Amino acid sequence: MAPRAELVHWAFAAGFLLLGLILLAEVIVGSEVFAMRPWRLYLWPSLAFGIGVLLWPVAVFFTNSTLHMLAHGSWAEVAMLAGAVELALVRGKLKSRWWTLSLCFTLLVSSAAFLIHEQNPWFFSRSAFLHHAIGWTLLVAAIFPLGQALQPRKALWGAGFALTWVVLAVMLFCDRDVAPIFGHLSRFAGGGQ
Amino acid sequence: MRRLLAVAAVALAFPGAAFAHASLTGTTPPTQSRIATAPRAIVLRFDQTVTITPRAIEVFSASGTKLSGPATTNGDGRVVSASVAGLRRGQAYTVRWRATSSDGHTGSGVYTFGIGIAPPPPTEAFGSTGPTWTDDVARWAFFVALALLIGTTGLRLLVLREPIPLRLSNRLYGLTAVGGIAVLNVGIAAFVMRAADALQVPFVDLLYGDLSPLATKTRVGVAFVAMTLGYAAVTALVLLAWILDRPRLLWPAFVVGIGFATGLSLSGHQGVEPNSTFLTELADWLHLVAAILWVGGLVALATCVWPLAPELRRRAFLGFSRVATVLVAVLVLAGTYLSIARLASVSELWSTSYGQALLVKIAIVCVALAWGAVHHFFVRPRLERGEDAPRGVRRSLIGESAIAILVLLLAAVLVNARPPAVEPAAGVRAGASQ
Repeated sequence: MAPRAELVHWAFAAGFLLLGLILLAEVIVGSEVFAMRPWRLYLWPSLAFGIGVLLWPVAVFFTNSTLHMLAHGSWAEVAMLAGAVELALVRGKLKSRWWTLSLCFTLLVSSAAFLIHEQNPWFFSRSAFLHHAIGWTLLVAAIFPLGQALQPRKALWGAGFALTWVVLAVMLFCDRDVAPIFGHLSRFAGGGQ
Repeated sequence: MRRLLAVAAVALAFPGAAFAHASLTGTTPPTQSRIATAPRAIVLRFDQTVTITPRAIEVFSASGTKLSGPATTNGDGRVVSASVAGLRRGQAYTVRWRATSSDGHTGSGVYTFGIGIAPPPPTEAFGSTGPTWTDDVARWAFFVALALLIGTTGLRLLVLREPIPLRLSNRLYGLTAVGGIAVLNVGIAAFVMRAADALQVPFVDLLYGDLSPLATKTRVGVAFVAMTLGYAAVTALVLLAWILDRPRLLWPAFVVGIGFATGLSLSGHQGVEPNSTFLTELADWLHLVAAILWVGGLVALATCVWPLAPELRRRAFLGFSRVATVLVAVLVLAGTYLSIARLASVSELWSTSYGQALLVKIAIVCVALAWGAVHHFFVRPRLERGEDAPRGVRRSLIGESAIAILVLLLAAVLVNARPPAVEPAAGVRAGASQ
């Protein structure tokens, strides 16, 4: 019934890539130009909210380990809430720029979930390496929303945040050992023949 | 930096020994199956190589007799089997397995099968103790969270109606969203606790425990999956209603929220009792929905309307009073019907632990009803005459809410308990004859 794990990873990687590209577009053209079409401002928060909602089925349908269910559940929750907060900021329901820190919290929780649920060392396998890399990338990237809250006009923070999602998308695309991308199949890898 | 990039490139190009840990892809006999003849061996198939100890597969009878021999791996190390002897028709058996993936993680799982009979769910496998006080607390927390989510939405839609002051609206949305998030988190925690009881492994091993049979083959698991998805959608709708200023979105959230509460009725003891019928399940659901609407409405009235919208107090109190009268009537009627259905005789009220818990619940419900009656007969007439509400009404509403939340605790205990009239199913839990 459940789709193969790598398909699910690729689907969410595509979502992250789109998220990163939208954010990158805003950084490249500048916030004023980007905001000339108000609907554009809703794009990435809506996508983040949608990714959060769609992660719930992943949490409850992939239950072959408790740890994975808990990790997927925590990502679903923080992504949904972060998307909601950003949408509320765009709509003017929330005013304080400090709400941007919710993204910081989201990245920290996501990072912790990645690092805790990957119990193997870095060089154990490709997926282990990438899980560690994704976890630490998320941890380091938490500085970008913090910077945005402190210095909203500085483009560096926005650019860093946007590139974070592009990098995460690439890593997630090649996260499965069984995925025939950037490497060969391991003879032990699940499903590989 | 170059060295780090080179290492990263190598790691990406040449994957290591495995991906994640081994997952069970199939078993013989199949999980939760009813088979005609006794198998000679139990066979587990994994999606990758595993290493095992001789006790990797253990098969237990209902009385706890171990019937399996030493486990061995076959072929490429993805198949594990153990011979079994002494299995008899008309009995159900528990299979407990442990296997270590090539990543060093030990996965574990449990399932049951029956020979000539339907097996019980894994939550009732040999070795599991069934719901304990921690499950009662989790279910209570779930009820309270559900009351905040559904009850607050109900008060807003059925009593207050739009438009309402912005501050009040925001607080009601906040309370509802907190309820939604709590429902999701408590639901997950409750499911993991049930899984821990079924698997009977240390916490570290529980982290790699296979929950699939529990999530797909038990009423609790199926309810968990459905309710998590349902209440995630409800929470998303509530958040969108707030963000987009579209209170109409609360209607589908309310309807879906009430609908998915059936999961509690179908996954509790009500769903597995021999005398369970469509009517008893309907009554159980109505009882629950009436209770959460009543409790959640009271909490929202006391913590949101009273302090933030003095101009709405009268309208809200009188409106809620009318709705609460209907809710209490449904609550009492459905509860009485269920008590009659669950107890074989009146004496079971004091001679069984279930009956005693029910008596305590009825006593506390009576206190809550008396408290509500004071509001109904003393506060309501004053408000209807256009007079101000007497002092202390807010504190009184909080007191009634606290009593009502206590009722939910007793309800949680009763939902997890088995009524005395129910005979144990032909199961594998200790007590059934071998």
